[in-house]
Amino acid sequence: MIRTKILAGAAATLSAVLLAGCGSTSDSGGGTQAGGAKGGKVGVGLPLLTSPFWQSYNNYVPQMAKQEGVDILPTVNSNSDPTQQITDINNLLNQNVRGLVIAPLDSAAIVAGLNQAERKGVPVVAVDVAPDKGKVAMVVRANNMAYGEKACKYLGDKIKSGKVVQIQGDLASVNGRDRSTAFRSCMKSNYPQIKVLEIPAEWKAEKAASGLDSLLNANQDLKGIYMQAGGVYLAPTLQALKSKNMLFKAGDPKHISIVSNDGIPQEFDAIRKGEIDATVSQPADAYAKWGLYYIKAAMEGKTFQPGKTDHGSEIVKLPSGILEDQLPAPLVTKENVDDKSLWGNTVGK
Amino acid sequence: MTQTVAEPRGGGGEAKAAGGAAGAGAALRRMREFTLVPALIALVVLGAVVNDSFLTERNIISILGASAALALVVLAESLILITGKIDLSLESTVGIAPGLGALLVIPAASAGFGTEWPAFLGILAIFVVGGLIGAFNGFLSVKLRLNAFIVSLAMLIVLRGLLTGATEGKTLFDMPEPFFSIATTTFLKLPLSVWLAAVCFGVAGFVLRYHRLGRALYAIGGNPEAARAAGIRVERVTWVVYVVAGVLAAAAGLCLTGYVGAINANQGQNMIFTVMAAAVIGGISMNGGKGTMTGAITGVLLLGVVDNLLTLAQVASFWKQAIYGAIILFALVISRVTSGQAQE
Repeated sequence: MIRTKILAGAAATLSAVLLAGCGSTSDSGGGTQAGGAKGGKVGVGLPLLTSPFWQSYNNYVPQMAKQEGVDILPTVNSNSDPTQQITDINNLLNQNVRGLVIAPLDSAAIVAGLNQAERKGVPVVAVDVAPDKGKVAMVVRANNMAYGEKACKYLGDKIKSGKVVQIQGDLASVNGRDRSTAFRSCMKSNYPQIKVLEIPAEWKAEKAASGLDSLLNANQDLKGIYMQAGGVYLAPTLQALKSKNMLFKAGDPKHISIVSNDGIPQEFDAIRKGEIDATVSQPADAYAKWGLYYIKAAMEGKTFQPGKTDHGSEIVKLPSGILEDQLPAPLVTKENVDDKSLWGNTVGK
Repeated sequence: MTQTVAEPRGGGGEAKAAGGAAGAGAALRRMREFTLVPALIALVVLGAVVNDSFLTERNIISILGASAALALVVLAESLILITGKIDLSLESTVGIAPGLGALLVIPAASAGFGTEWPAFLGILAIFVVGGLIGAFNGFLSVKLRLNAFIVSLAMLIVLRGLLTGATEGKTLFDMPEPFFSIATTTFLKLPLSVWLAAVCFGVAGFVLRYHRLGRALYAIGGNPEAARAAGIRVERVTWVVYVVAGVLAAAAGLCLTGYVGAINANQGQNMIFTVMAAAVIGGISMNGGKGTMTGAITGVLLLGVVDNLLTLAQVASFWKQAIYGAIILFALVISRVTSGQAQE
């Protein structure tokens, strides 16, 4: 086991070194160009625009760019298509951008795009998803494992024993997998009295609705729900509970505890009304801010070291050698739902 | 549906000719209708064994409620397939029709157009949009004689894009109650959406079997030239089928909106694969001219039962898709074996 891990680690490091080596000549060529311009345009790639989270990220990008003094091109949307994302990166590179801030759809399928950028000597900051390999200046990401754990701890402490269901994201996506695994294993080790049921809903509202509808028939004693994406699952979950007459406000003994994930304004409303208990706020504003901050730093040739940062997060070195700034993701409950610093309170619906 | 019945004015003689063509295979057709029943029974028995709550009244209502929207789109697609065409864009109509209806109603603060129409007008608009999309699809494929498969694929993308553009990708939450009531109001314990689907299937089944317009669909799907020679107004009838299908898809969209409680810009996305699966395992021929409403509805119920069963049984979530697909495959084989005839 350990042996294979060491070997894998060695292989990863070696390939990282090799990759870095491959790109070095063109690196310097690109570097001199960039050095003269000091700045230049930055391209920003979005994975999709059909979720409230990415819409608000998209809104934050120009604001934060102004604040950080970064000159950006209009954002590019890959519309959930990893192949399109590679094409988008190539197009941006052809427009002679000097830096890229990309939110990869897939941790593996982005590598070809990263290699293209490296060949042109253009630094890349990855947002939300850490690439498996390839060269990036920094990964800006909230820890999705921590999302699942936070939800698990909150639900676990609240209900102690009984049945909970997690409405999962797409298990073919790293974020869906991380949240699912973290929630499941945290429940298993910390709250053995709790039984975890699962609905693989692929980030789709109708799958969440029909799955929950079916499960509630067989499990009338359900005590808790973890929705891995409030933006998509909030409405169908409430609708399914309503149709079964199982929606009770927090405080009522028959209330089913619900923890969500995302932190959109509608979830905050539901928390205020007592329909759901908590949500893990995924920091859209911080993604945009630190994504642009790091790309500016990388274009100026700065490098970073693992360790605590000055903005409440920690930079860690991933096994692949990539640095990741793990931003904090606050748990929002009735107590702090009106906090002005939460991104969900700063955007319109 | 009423407009359908009133539409064509072909003479009685021609209709008889069309009816005769379909009547020749009547016995076979009747077999075909029930080929899926053994598979359905097998699954229900399996379900009852696997989970105590599977055969409860509550759970059966859930299965029907979850299948209502799918049933309406399968009905729409079946009518088009029987006529010998195909319309992939129905899945996008399921999203854009209620989407536009909602945008006209909800205030600008919730991402609406700001027109703030009263709710009933918005719901009316949903059906009008569905009908118009159907009419446009019909225009492309009937009048311009474009290939139905490719042109509806293009329309699928266009309509999906229009919805994403009009909503700016946002999920629409703040619709007034009437937008949801079709799925939340119940009559004799069943949601209205289930009744709507049942009535639509009943009417379509009756028209297809006994009315000359219905028989004209089989005639056109079987051999359009022969149908034309027999005096059926092929273009006009096909066009009407497209419009009806658009309206049905819009109704499905409204049911789904009520069921989910919001309209996501992805509403209905990838649904067409399930629709095709349900129609084909229900015995609707992809080549046109064959298939019945009884068959189509058993196809829908089969998929609804399988999905419910897999959730109740809590099969490992990574494997659910594979098992779902395998069961569809199995159902196809069973229906092939029990009917004893080649599938087209």
